[in-house]
Amino acid sequence: MAEQTPPRTYETPPTERPITDAEAARSAGLAHNEHLKIASGYLRGTLADGLLKHATGAISEDDGQLVKFHGMYMQDDRDIRAERTKKKLEKAFSFMIRLRIAGGVVTPKQWLALDEIATTYAGGALRATTRQTFQYHGVIKSNLKRTMAAIDATLLDTIAACGDVNRNVMAATNPAQVGAHKAAYQLGKDISDSLLPKTSAWREIWLDGERVVGGENAAEIEPVYGKTYLPRKFKTVIAVPPSNEVDIFAHDLGFIAILDEKNRVTGWNVTVGGGMGMTHGETDTFPRTADVMCFVAPEDALKTAEAVMTVQRDWGNRKVRKNARLKYTIERYGLSAFRAEVEKRVGKPLADPKPYTFTNNGDRYGWTEGDDGRHHLTLYVASGRIKDYENGPQLLTGLRRIAEIHEGDFRLTGNQNVIIANVPSDKRAEIEALVDQHGMMKGASALRRNSMACVALPTCGLALAESERYLPDLMTELETSLASHGLAEDEITIRMTGCPNGCARPFIAEIGLVGRGPERYHLYLGAAFDGSRLGKLYGEDVTASEIKTILDPLFAAYAKNKQPGERFGDYLIRDGYVTKTINGPDFHEKIGPLKSAA
Amino acid sequence: MAFPMARHAILPRTAPFEDKERASLDAVLGAATPIQRAWLAGFLAGLDAAGGQPAAAVPAAPPKAAEPLTILFASESGNSEKLAGDVAKLARKSGFKPKIVDFFDLDVASLAREKHVVAIAATWGEGEPPARAMRAYGELMGEGAPRLDGIDFAVLALGDTSYAEFCAIGKALDARFEALGAKRAYARADLDLDFDEPAADWIKNTVKALTPPPGADNVVAVDFAARTVDEDDEAEPSREPRVVEVVDHVNLNSSRSDKETIHLALEFEDGAPAYEPGDSLEIYPENDPALVDEILAATGLSGDEALRRALLAERDITTLSATTVERFAKATGHAEAQKLIDSGEAKAWIEGRHLIDLIQSFPATVTAEHLATITRPLPPRAYSIASSRKEVGDEVHLVIAAVRYETHGRARSGVTSTHVADRVKNGAKLRVKLKPNRHFRLPQDPATDIIMVGPGTGVAPFRAFVQERRAVEAPGRSWLFFGDRHFTHDFLYQLEWQDALEDGSLTKIDVAFSRDQPQKIYVQDRIDHHARELVEWLDGGASFYVCGDANRMAKDVRNAVVRAYATVKSLGEAEAEAAVAALERAHRYQQDVY
Repeated sequence: MAEQTPPRTYETPPTERPITDAEAARSAGLAHNEHLKIASGYLRGTLADGLLKHATGAISEDDGQLVKFHGMYMQDDRDIRAERTKKKLEKAFSFMIRLRIAGGVVTPKQWLALDEIATTYAGGALRATTRQTFQYHGVIKSNLKRTMAAIDATLLDTIAACGDVNRNVMAATNPAQVGAHKAAYQLGKDISDSLLPKTSAWREIWLDGERVVGGENAAEIEPVYGKTYLPRKFKTVIAVPPSNEVDIFAHDLGFIAILDEKNRVTGWNVTVGGGMGMTHGETDTFPRTADVMCFVAPEDALKTAEAVMTVQRDWGNRKVRKNARLKYTIERYGLSAFRAEVEKRVGKPLADPKPYTFTNNGDRYGWTEGDDGRHHLTLYVASGRIKDYENGPQLLTGLRRIAEIHEGDFRLTGNQNVIIANVPSDKRAEIEALVDQHGMMKGASALRRNSMACVALPTCGLALAESERYLPDLMTELETSLASHGLAEDEITIRMTGCPNGCARPFIAEIGLVGRGPERYHLYLGAAFDGSRLGKLYGEDVTASEIKTILDPLFAAYAKNKQPGERFGDYLIRDGYVTKTINGPDFHEKIGPLKSAA
Repeated sequence: MAFPMARHAILPRTAPFEDKERASLDAVLGAATPIQRAWLAGFLAGLDAAGGQPAAAVPAAPPKAAEPLTILFASESGNSEKLAGDVAKLARKSGFKPKIVDFFDLDVASLAREKHVVAIAATWGEGEPPARAMRAYGELMGEGAPRLDGIDFAVLALGDTSYAEFCAIGKALDARFEALGAKRAYARADLDLDFDEPAADWIKNTVKALTPPPGADNVVAVDFAARTVDEDDEAEPSREPRVVEVVDHVNLNSSRSDKETIHLALEFEDGAPAYEPGDSLEIYPENDPALVDEILAATGLSGDEALRRALLAERDITTLSATTVERFAKATGHAEAQKLIDSGEAKAWIEGRHLIDLIQSFPATVTAEHLATITRPLPPRAYSIASSRKEVGDEVHLVIAAVRYETHGRARSGVTSTHVADRVKNGAKLRVKLKPNRHFRLPQDPATDIIMVGPGTGVAPFRAFVQERRAVEAPGRSWLFFGDRHFTHDFLYQLEWQDALEDGSLTKIDVAFSRDQPQKIYVQDRIDHHARELVEWLDGGASFYVCGDANRMAKDVRNAVVRAYATVKSLGEAEAEAAVAALERAHRYQQDVY
């Protein structure tokens, strides 16, 4: 018997635009960040002054919130925190700078420039993120302007890479479907450009641009966002089935290409209300997979994107920041009310979604050939960290050499990997030689190829436990276990994050590990391989050494009892080890193992 | 008999004294030199004139003016200045009227009017005069120097044999005085860091040599005001070595830094000496036991515990100078070592080498006695004090960069800095001595603005300045230029500067971290950048201070200040240079460099 969902009652949506008056914001009890945005003068705050305070590598706490809109997080090296006070040194502050690279497409020339910036200012590492862009770590305050100027010279920027805005727009990279990819990339780029904040603060602060005067009129300065921008971050992605490499269900807004028999895009299914972040111990916060809301024709896609974002702008919760994302807006007011409002703003009724099929949310490694005869090589990059590894792949140098001769482009994937794309047939051998020479294609296990980890310690201020630095070791242990059960070649997604904000999207991995404290993780199991279903909390506060002990018997059972083609996450649910998660609100229900795996 | 009979009875029996008194006076006067007798005559006359005692006797002859003696000193660390004081003291006793003149203040043309000149000169860095002496030294060596015919002179040269151009400035002055027509009254001495005893000998002999043959009618006018000088001496803080306890020992650099800078807090049990911000403290180090053992092993003297103790704490077993090689060759009779000297290659060979290299390169039978003659006493090392007594009470804080490098395939280390960094822990005792520096002082008026340039450990005295000005609530503004390699790992006392900015004891800070970005940035670049504001501060009466590296930084900073004047005030090079020279003359541009 199917599970009965109790009827939901929804609140009546607001009709007013967001409050932009400081006094009114106070009496309405808005969250601190809302006051900040109102007072910031369109994201300026006191950043310019803060950069002149030479005795500290930090900026003020409030500016620390604002600087996210400029693509940066202030962080500190937590590995050396303990020694600093005794040495009469403040925390080892530095900044993470995230680029905005719509669709993750980078030209060879840009690659070389980005590489040089990494080498000069960011400890010699480029980090591919889980959202198709690069971020730099460890840039100190005195180098921020130099770094930003160098980024500007590449014709890229960092505007809205973080903050309460539409962030970097992801788009499918599948180079085999040339036409569909082009359409996906174009839509992503259009959305990125159209929803970009218009304030001149970025240019003014980082590039010593002139302050644009005379504009106190929000309609001129920020026609879409207004003074207070969005209630919370907003993430948009474009997917082309059958690959869900962009993890469309984990994002606020998504477009799924609906293809005809010739792989041409006939329109887009629109998804809304996905998101990963939650707070440990607070069940009114939860990850949520997106709803597939409607289908739009290609010409309506951009307008729909704007409509979804502006409804969230106006309806999103600005009092309780942890409930501010679109997923909570939809839970609060209901999908049909939300859809009705979007239709109102688009100016026409929208069709119901069309059928589509995703098969996975990972990358295709190795060489593929597009339907235009061009070649594409997907490289595995452990945790997206592009550097020269001691006794390992010389990724930074190797990719630099390739960029020097490459005529196509590079694509960053949503799985922290890199594609050397659009290689003409006569260049393939040359690139292959460079790849070999720098040890960049050393075979990674099936588990590693389906793994992701966030940065976490030592730089991320939110991390409660290790992630990027620990997952490789854990996978080495799990590989032994999997091999012993004959599962070495089975593809199972595994993702780890240092905190429940979910940068590496652990809640939709078949094995999800989320940091709780030093060497302690929550273990989530039962998510779908294609990223369409959340996992369920299986082991609480599991120590690092216990993870293998818990998983080993489950691997054994899976190896023994799986049906042909059955995925690990699906199997655990079918065989009754863990409860299936329907969606966000029941994420915290019926947790724990249902039966012993021994 | 209670009193020894005078060899010659001086006083006639008719003298108005008791027999016993007459015998006493004879005992003194009989042994007295003519100049002493002349002085006594002058003294008694002066005493009466000063109303000390009722006048009873009229001096046999009218007092004649005391013989003038000019004592010049060119000092960087204060040693020459101290010795100048010693010369003055002895000269006064011998009937001179001494006058001490800092090279800094010397009017070279006026030298021609002198009669007796003693010059004490330190040599600095690679054979340069102390920074404060630069101008006058240049004038004296230049074409415009006056003839010095008829002048008696003597030169005492101070130096450090671990530098190639040992005592170069003293030697040059000695030759120059002679070339200008002056007559050498006593031979120059070239003294190493262990100068105390030989300097005392030289001073005694020089004063004697300069003393004019007295006439019988000589009565020396005694300058009673000069007594105040002695009283000043007494008020000076004790210069005797003291034992202190290490109460804090922290490496200020981050564990990611390739530098190691030790913050050292030392506590004086019986109260800290009365040091002032700007003063230095000397530390008596011990050698690296591993190096001592290596030398003992190389000489086959392992097992000689007394020698081991001496080498650890008393002898300089690192410095290798031409003198060391000579002494070694002489002591051991090593032909190859002698050849090194005879061929003139010694100077090049010792470059970057230490005593251990010599001993290992020229194996010979070396005895404990040989080692004693070859080496010099282990000198103390001075560090600028980084604290104010008003803030730290009976402590003295120092900040010491561990010196480590490699030459000729061997790891080398600074004796004192690595002794402190590696072998001194909390609770350890150190022997130290205060070394005042009158030429590096906060302005008298606490309302005066100060500009402080102190990269690396050069920041030490400025920590003292800021503490002092915080304690006295000085209304003057303060501006610190600090620099090092990396902001994150080498920002010495960062949290303290932040507090000082917060409480107002520091008004501004500008920083230059050379290795944080592709283009090296140094403090002088920050001065360039802030030229206008800097000149504004200086025009408003600010005092300018530089502490740290003498070889490059201090010169680069001075050039930057000259440049600032030139740019901001549209001055020619010479005018801008004159503006800075005027600051120096007014003691508003002070340096503590090393």
